[in-house]
Amino acid sequence: MKTEIILSGVGGQGLVSTGEILGQAASIFEHDLYATMAAAYGSETRGTFTKSDVIISDQPIGCPNIDKANIILCLAQVAYDRYVDTLEDDTVVIYDTDSVVKKEGAKGKHIGYPFRSMAIELGNIQTANSIALGVMIKQCGVLHADTCKQAVAARFAGKDKVIELNDKAIDFGMSLE
Amino acid sequence: MAKVIKKFIEGNDACVDGAIAAGARFYAGYPISPSSEIAEGAAREMPKHGGIYIQMEDELSSMNALLGASLAGKKSFTATSGPGFTLMQENLGLGIMSEIPCVLYVVMRSGPATGAATKPAQADIMQARWGTHGDHNIIALSPSSVQDCYDLSLTAFNLAEKYRTPVLFLSDEVIGHLRETCREREFAPEEIFNRVQPAPGTTQEEFRPYDFSGTMPAPMPAVGDRNLLMRTTGSTHDEKGEFGPGPANINKVTHYLTDKIDKNVDDITIVREYKMEDAEVAIISFGCSARSSMSAVDILREKGVKAGLLQLVTIWPMPEKQIREVLQKVSKVVVAEMNLGQLAKEIRSFNDYGCKVLQANRTDGVLITPQQIIDALEEK
Repeated sequence: MKTEIILSGVGGQGLVSTGEILGQAASIFEHDLYATMAAAYGSETRGTFTKSDVIISDQPIGCPNIDKANIILCLAQVAYDRYVDTLEDDTVVIYDTDSVVKKEGAKGKHIGYPFRSMAIELGNIQTANSIALGVMIKQCGVLHADTCKQAVAARFAGKDKVIELNDKAIDFGMSLE
Repeated sequence: MAKVIKKFIEGNDACVDGAIAAGARFYAGYPISPSSEIAEGAAREMPKHGGIYIQMEDELSSMNALLGASLAGKKSFTATSGPGFTLMQENLGLGIMSEIPCVLYVVMRSGPATGAATKPAQADIMQARWGTHGDHNIIALSPSSVQDCYDLSLTAFNLAEKYRTPVLFLSDEVIGHLRETCREREFAPEEIFNRVQPAPGTTQEEFRPYDFSGTMPAPMPAVGDRNLLMRTTGSTHDEKGEFGPGPANINKVTHYLTDKIDKNVDDITIVREYKMEDAEVAIISFGCSARSSMSAVDILREKGVKAGLLQLVTIWPMPEKQIREVLQKVSKVVVAEMNLGQLAKEIRSFNDYGCKVLQANRTDGVLITPQQIIDALEEK
């Protein structure tokens, strides 16, 4: 089992956090899984293209940079544009319909939701990434909700409100059809 | 069972955890990308373990602070990169000559000069070997995973203490900033090597801070020891630690310092073989490039090519015996590295077997890809 996930968008969307949650869930709270995360971001932290390559595997991981992803999360048009022409028929693209316009005839299985407005409705725009994480868990079978929530709790230890909000966002993402 | 804590952390953070677990209690340094997280982590963690963190005014003084603290009996370390490593070279030589254990974490980046300060490279192999002047020898280890950053930290400190010498931990930006599964195991006391102390009751008359007669260093009491006066100098010295510039002594010290490492190469060498048992072609690599090499081996095996990997964990002294074995065994070798061929040149110097030695090099600050290594191998 090896899942290669690209989390892409612009700085400030919490993609590094999402990658860390996936990595921590796999490394610490799941059984005998390996994970890597190679992050790339511009020197300006907000507003420029950013992506994290997350690999989860039951075997030791070689090259940590992803060549062909199984799942690509795109929270910004600049990110989508970068990957759209590399998609294969079985690549899953999870994208934010508030920020990304799907390319006509693009390959891949597209799953789009208005993550941004959903997050605002949920009470905090910063939870768009966690709603997307919920979608990934439910519709792509990536890890388990409970281990991801354990990772959220560990990462935001002492910040009960943040934990509660992210858990709510993961649940909401999982409830989407 | 030793206590194990599972983490998902960056290589640089695992270096700090590993150093502290190995017994390091003094850090002096000047932060520089992409090693800064080691300074940051040391500043945060060292006080919790009764250790000291000092940010110095530059890398020259950092290196001297390390040597001073080590002379006083503390296991000491620093972290740096590119230009900072260059600034440390003079007093790295002092550490070698005066036989002072310490560990330098060098997180390699693109250079020379400021270069592309945040991008990875593996181009300081030769600076590591020959950066300080004079005939000398050096120990350098190269991690290829976050787990290595933790585990090999113990090895680095143990080798430094055992051989009374500075040890280089040649990491790179990819491994330093890679977040990865890491199992941090509490090291058992018997796994941790502490510098040998003089036999109890040794008198000042009998005591010699240096011993050039064999290939192992003399016991090393702390400067400030109540009973023994520990003399040291960066000038060529005799076994009492006193200035000894006679031709015979200069020659003896030069040979001793190089033999100390060369003659113990089997003890110092760590290599890893991946699918080498039946390999017909091989990749030789280290550090971050070894990760891409491992993937290249898997892809080649799927295509029916019997490929294997020899990973050099010990970079210096160069694992000559193991490299020769590979050159003798296979028809073709690709040396994969993020520089223009610093390791490849060394490998070729051992090639008395007619093996075809090819290169896969990358110098644009992007991690070398498995495909690039495969392409180099398939080159006619």
